[in-house]
Amino acid sequence: MIIGNTHCLYGENMNAIIKADNVYYEYMAQNEGDIAVQAVKGISMSIRQGQFVVVLGRNGSGKSTLARLLNGLLIPVKGTVIIDGIDTSNNELIWEVRKTLGLVFQNPDNQIVATTVEEDVAFGPENLGISPDDIRKRVDESLKMVGMGEYSGYSPHMLSGGQKQRIAIAGILAMEPKCIVLDEATSMLDPRGRREVMDVLKKLNREKGITIVHITHHMEEAVEADLVMVMENGRLVLTGTPRQIFENIEQIRKAGLDVPQITALAYDLKEKGVRMDKLPLNVNEMVNVLNGLIKRKNSDNTDSARRHIVRELKPESPIIKVRDLSHVYMPGSAFEQKALYDINLTVNKGEILGIIGQTGSGKSTLVQHFNGILKATSGSVEVDGLKAEGNDLKELRQKVGLIFQYPEHQLFEETVYKDIIFGLTKLGLDEEEIKKRVFHVIDILGISPELLEKSPFELSGGQKRRVAIAGVLVMKPKVLVLDEPTAGLDPQGSSEVFRLLSRLNREEGTTIIIISHNMEEVAAFCHRVAVMNKGRLVFCDTAANVFSRYEELKNYNLDIPKITELFRELHNSGHDVPQNVLTVDEAKEFIISMINSGVGVRHND
Amino acid sequence: MINNVTLGQYIPGNSILHRLDPRTKIFWTILLMAATFLIDSWAEYLMMGLFTLMLMLISGVPIRQSVKGIKPLLFILIFTAVLNIFFTGGTPILAIGPVKVTYEGIFAAIKLFLRLVMLVITASLVTITTTPMTMTDGIEKLLKPFEKIGVPAHEIAMMMSIALRFIPTLLDETNRIMKAQASRGANFDTGSIFSRIKSFIPVLVPLFVSAFKRADELAEAMESRCYRGGKGRTRLKEIHYSKLDLSASLAGIALLGIIFSGRLFS
Repeated sequence: MIIGNTHCLYGENMNAIIKADNVYYEYMAQNEGDIAVQAVKGISMSIRQGQFVVVLGRNGSGKSTLARLLNGLLIPVKGTVIIDGIDTSNNELIWEVRKTLGLVFQNPDNQIVATTVEEDVAFGPENLGISPDDIRKRVDESLKMVGMGEYSGYSPHMLSGGQKQRIAIAGILAMEPKCIVLDEATSMLDPRGRREVMDVLKKLNREKGITIVHITHHMEEAVEADLVMVMENGRLVLTGTPRQIFENIEQIRKAGLDVPQITALAYDLKEKGVRMDKLPLNVNEMVNVLNGLIKRKNSDNTDSARRHIVRELKPESPIIKVRDLSHVYMPGSAFEQKALYDINLTVNKGEILGIIGQTGSGKSTLVQHFNGILKATSGSVEVDGLKAEGNDLKELRQKVGLIFQYPEHQLFEETVYKDIIFGLTKLGLDEEEIKKRVFHVIDILGISPELLEKSPFELSGGQKRRVAIAGVLVMKPKVLVLDEPTAGLDPQGSSEVFRLLSRLNREEGTTIIIISHNMEEVAAFCHRVAVMNKGRLVFCDTAANVFSRYEELKNYNLDIPKITELFRELHNSGHDVPQNVLTVDEAKEFIISMINSGVGVRHND
Repeated sequence: MINNVTLGQYIPGNSILHRLDPRTKIFWTILLMAATFLIDSWAEYLMMGLFTLMLMLISGVPIRQSVKGIKPLLFILIFTAVLNIFFTGGTPILAIGPVKVTYEGIFAAIKLFLRLVMLVITASLVTITTTPMTMTDGIEKLLKPFEKIGVPAHEIAMMMSIALRFIPTLLDETNRIMKAQASRGANFDTGSIFSRIKSFIPVLVPLFVSAFKRADELAEAMESRCYRGGKGRTRLKEIHYSKLDLSASLAGIALLGIIFSGRLFS
């Protein structure tokens, strides 16, 4: 018995590559009198060699602190972290810990040290004092492993975000680690970059048996993990398989997260009394469940396919007219690059227009013509009767507010208030009016008035972003253009931004143009969607029509919302359903009505 | 606004110049600089010119590329040369009031111009045939002996290479911030010099904030990749002082000897 027990205990210890025992960490107070901030409060966990673990949690839940505790960048104030048998607080063995457990960070730019790809990948092994021949071998193998073999001589700033993160992963791989921890490494990437990184991680896990701890707030990435952990407020609140985790939908939502669309739909259907034995996590599982519930109908002359909710479109009254617009960057130089080809687009007053397309397809270039930041090489842009090329830039920029990606990076004033009124002060308004506008805008955006006298640099990420948006809104633009307004925000933060925007659209009548990679958000909020590919506007139509053109979108490397994909699959498996269902609510209503109308529902009772 | 600036004009190749150790190239540059300021007679100028031309040919880089470095400096070069015309005493050939143009002045101007041109070409040949990383490695090795008197050789080299790495990133960022502030109503192009300088505050503050953040994050990333200073660190591409370097250095000294040999007999 004793032998067996010892063996068991031993076996567990041998297998646990990461072991954390009641770990606490607090950041020292910045000013005297402030209380230290507890970022991690009593986390215990054990991760076995070879597991693929996803850690979920909203911004500020302590995920990044946890990552830094795992490789000894931070040392717990209480409790222990043991990596492959070594305590991270052991100063002499800290390099062993970091060699065993590599960390990939969030910002792709800020972790690349060298001026060429191969020298960067070599950085780790160089620090370990490995011989040049071995370094060469490791660099070549690592680059091949992440699919970046041909890029060894490239300069990092020539690469896309996804490629840079793969270089960062290769840099860790070259140190021959047993475990890689990724601290929100996909949060600044576009969907394609995210997919590239996820594919590499899965490959490393499968082929090399490397333990992966992937910290993220993209729920779809958690579905394929062996183990999911959910963090809230410095604590580990849930641990289990993806299925176990997503069954706790309330708790997940409480933690500021969301579940994948399919799971949300399943949950809603369950609440309406639809029976399901196990919770479907992806489209295929859901199709199987629904196939069991709804009998196929042979005749297709019902109106069910047309029973889909049609969103009201804004009447045609153009506010922006783009005619034959082309743009060439740096014409005449060696870097000459044509970015836009003969764009024709009309934006209607009061609508929400989504612009989708891969990174580099010309979306940002297009919208920068709307307020005259870029000048048309040929063709014209007219905003509310104003030509966007003359000398009326000031007036134009008042009409069109343009919010760039990560707008919080432009904050610079001493106080939030001063920052918000930066543009306003140039309009010659009196103080009363300025104040009135500021308070009106912060009310819409949910910025509390106490923040106005604080320094913008003291605020949290989400608050900073709102302040930056406020600085544009006080100009009372007729058109608001946002370039990826939800980049880097967690699900709750993202849906708040979209809620604010649709409120602004509804109450103030502001025309809104959103560039986004999040198809689910675009599908849920936009009246019309413009699709761009390689500098051309390929089509512009209602959201429902755009997302039903699955094949074409796929050619442009674009996804459709999971819900739309589900209905497409249902259609393909013989059901008479529309292919342009866009949101969970629409899907729920449709499925319930199908079941209730007795379209051959198989009762399980 | 700021457009793509190409930094370090390295042009890949496999000439002798490319293969030389950066230390040799730095040594040669110093040697040639000294020589360019010592040459005096037209014969020496001619030989020096031929020598520079020879280096250009050896590098295997199109002549057009190696003289490209002169273009941005052309104005300053001509300006300094022309100044010489008026401020050298001697036999006047033309006099307008107090301003005199002399024979000596014209020759001095031509000579100065040629000197500067040769200097710029030699310097660009070094940057054209050496990658920035190799260059910093070379500087690190050269400074190594001075570590004993407290010169942080490795740190200086590391800082240089990180600076090289981040210059394009920060240029991109400056461009982005300028566009964003312009969208918020900032105006960079009009107004007095003072107000124009002031208008850059909204660009500089965010740029500095982000640069510090980048520095912090980079430090973390370097630490977690086991960086602990130069001690015990190896390199992917070690630079080697080979026989080629030795002979090149000796050849350099010999060639300069020939250029100045005329002086022995005069």
